[in-house]
Amino acid sequence: MRAGPNDRVRRQLMRDAVSDNLETIRGLPPRSVRPVPRAGGVWTRRLPLLLIPVTLLGASYLVSEPPILRTVRQPTAAVLHTAMIDSTEPVKAAAFPLAVRRVILDAGHGGKDAGALSSSNLSEKEITLDIERRLQALLKQQGFEVVATRNDDRMIPLRERARLANSSEGDIFVSIHVNSLRTHINSHGIETYYLGPTKDPLLTQLAAEENGTSGYSIADLRKLLDRVYADVRRDESHRLASAVQQQLFANLQTIDPGLENWGIKRAPFIVLVATDMPAVLAEVGCLSNEREAVMLKNPQYRQQIAQALFRGISEYAKKGT
Amino acid sequence: MAEILHVGIDLGTSRSAISASNGERFVVDSFVGWPADMVAKKILKRNVLIGHEAVANRTMLELHRPLERGLLKEGSDKDVEAVRELLRHLLGLVGVKKNGKVDSGNVRAVVGVPAAALRTNKQYLRNSMKGIVDSLMIVSEPFAVAYGLNALLHTMIIDIGAGTTDFCVMKGRYPTEEDQRTLTVAGDSIDAHLLKLIEERYPQANVTMFMVREWKEKFSFVGQPPQRAMVTAPVKGVPTELDITNEIKAACETILPPVVETMLDLLSRVEPEFQERVRNNIILSGGGGLIKNLPRALEDALKQVGGGKVTYMEDPVFVGSDGGLALALDAPDSDWERLSA
Repeated sequence: MRAGPNDRVRRQLMRDAVSDNLETIRGLPPRSVRPVPRAGGVWTRRLPLLLIPVTLLGASYLVSEPPILRTVRQPTAAVLHTAMIDSTEPVKAAAFPLAVRRVILDAGHGGKDAGALSSSNLSEKEITLDIERRLQALLKQQGFEVVATRNDDRMIPLRERARLANSSEGDIFVSIHVNSLRTHINSHGIETYYLGPTKDPLLTQLAAEENGTSGYSIADLRKLLDRVYADVRRDESHRLASAVQQQLFANLQTIDPGLENWGIKRAPFIVLVATDMPAVLAEVGCLSNEREAVMLKNPQYRQQIAQALFRGISEYAKKGT
Repeated sequence: MAEILHVGIDLGTSRSAISASNGERFVVDSFVGWPADMVAKKILKRNVLIGHEAVANRTMLELHRPLERGLLKEGSDKDVEAVRELLRHLLGLVGVKKNGKVDSGNVRAVVGVPAAALRTNKQYLRNSMKGIVDSLMIVSEPFAVAYGLNALLHTMIIDIGAGTTDFCVMKGRYPTEEDQRTLTVAGDSIDAHLLKLIEERYPQANVTMFMVREWKEKFSFVGQPPQRAMVTAPVKGVPTELDITNEIKAACETILPPVVETMLDLLSRVEPEFQERVRNNIILSGGGGLIKNLPRALEDALKQVGGGKVTYMEDPVFVGSDGGLALALDAPDSDWERLSA
């Protein structure tokens, strides 16, 4: 019996639904928000994969005697065809063990901008730089390339940090900060931000404080924000934020059982908005809590934080391949 | 041949529904609670309580509502565990064992999520369902509704849930971002408004969100009141009858402007020659479909663009899960094998 038009529509819808799910499983962004301009880059990265069979077959072709040529040529077409079909599949982890190669690390504040201060005058800028250095060592040990926005105690405008991250062509951007609460000084927890709007007035205030040295005008900021929302980068930043927050909380809670999980949140921090790659800002502790300020002074605890951040980044990198 | 159970699940912020190929259908409140201490555990004699039982015993529980705006809350292991417990419970109700199997067979599930759910939200849900079902397909909730009703062409679905209101225009193709919208004005925002309005009018009354939700479900309406909404609540400890008719009307009508605006905006994006057909095929589903006079209010709004017809689903609670089940049954075995959880 011939299928009616409605049956054909149902079958087509089913195929589309299945295909959409398979793309989710492979971790591809939705079709409508895939970054078209980078498609060339993707093909460039995959070209070596295509060239492998071509080169091997080409070599066989050259070293073979004429009578064997015909038998070599037939599989050439078949193998090339297979290679072309495979090339539309996502790149396997085994082919690129490090889809995330270059990590941009950003130690918050610096120089005359000390950031938050504890009651014993321990500054945010000094903690973030120390954790960044420890994290940098861990990442390099595992073969990641690392670019740091600052390597010493100097003030670098946020705009300059974003520019450096973009010109270095980093794959991901991780900004390290330490919280300080004016009220609720008994609370202490960790939270990770990724880019996006927020309706929370407290987060708006926090973003205003962190964005204080941006060097961008309001008009610039508007333009930057306008380009954010349809960007596939938000999806990836969200995934990176989830991985970092989960590892930070899971690892640090074993040392400090009272630590609170404040989750992942959206906020328009300049370093998240103006960077081109998936970007997160991790508030790895809370200096306004005296007990935690003591812990943050301890180099061993800072090493634990660096290790947790490292695990989060690795987790993200692993799933991304 | 191994027995296979197909299920459609509408994982909702407030309620979750399941429809199974063995004919079973259940709906539960999306609450999961663990006894708060040893005393509570001894009284309740259970490790975990789900749905209405959890709400009823909430004072003894660490209560979780694991979905927010129709999506899993992220970054909290307890909420992930809560959603897994909820899913296990739903599947258990339709006869699935705790290991996710039906006797020696398989479980294939279609789960509806808000139209605006991101790829990462879906991946997160997929990860959370590992080990609970064998194969999983995630689709947008209004698409599941449309598929179940066979309303695939020139139709608009408006699915008003607790956390989100989802819109989807069906054009005979798998809906893209431009065919769908999600608003966060929905049942929960009505509850929040209603609570605020009651507290303003009766500052001495002791009212909780759970009471407000129950009253809304009983009396919700827009336009002319079908009856007086009289409820009982303690005022300074004394049970007192309160008239909340005006408050119910005001709270329910807060969703009208954004819903109307989105409906008209989506209609304006339909090709001109099909607009009239879509205007006359608007389907209201979800718990919000139970708000009295809402279809008429939407039809009034449609008059400014030439008029239209809004149909209200008589069984809005299961319309999403039934649609998911229809998808699950139609998907060929070869596709299910590729969608293993």
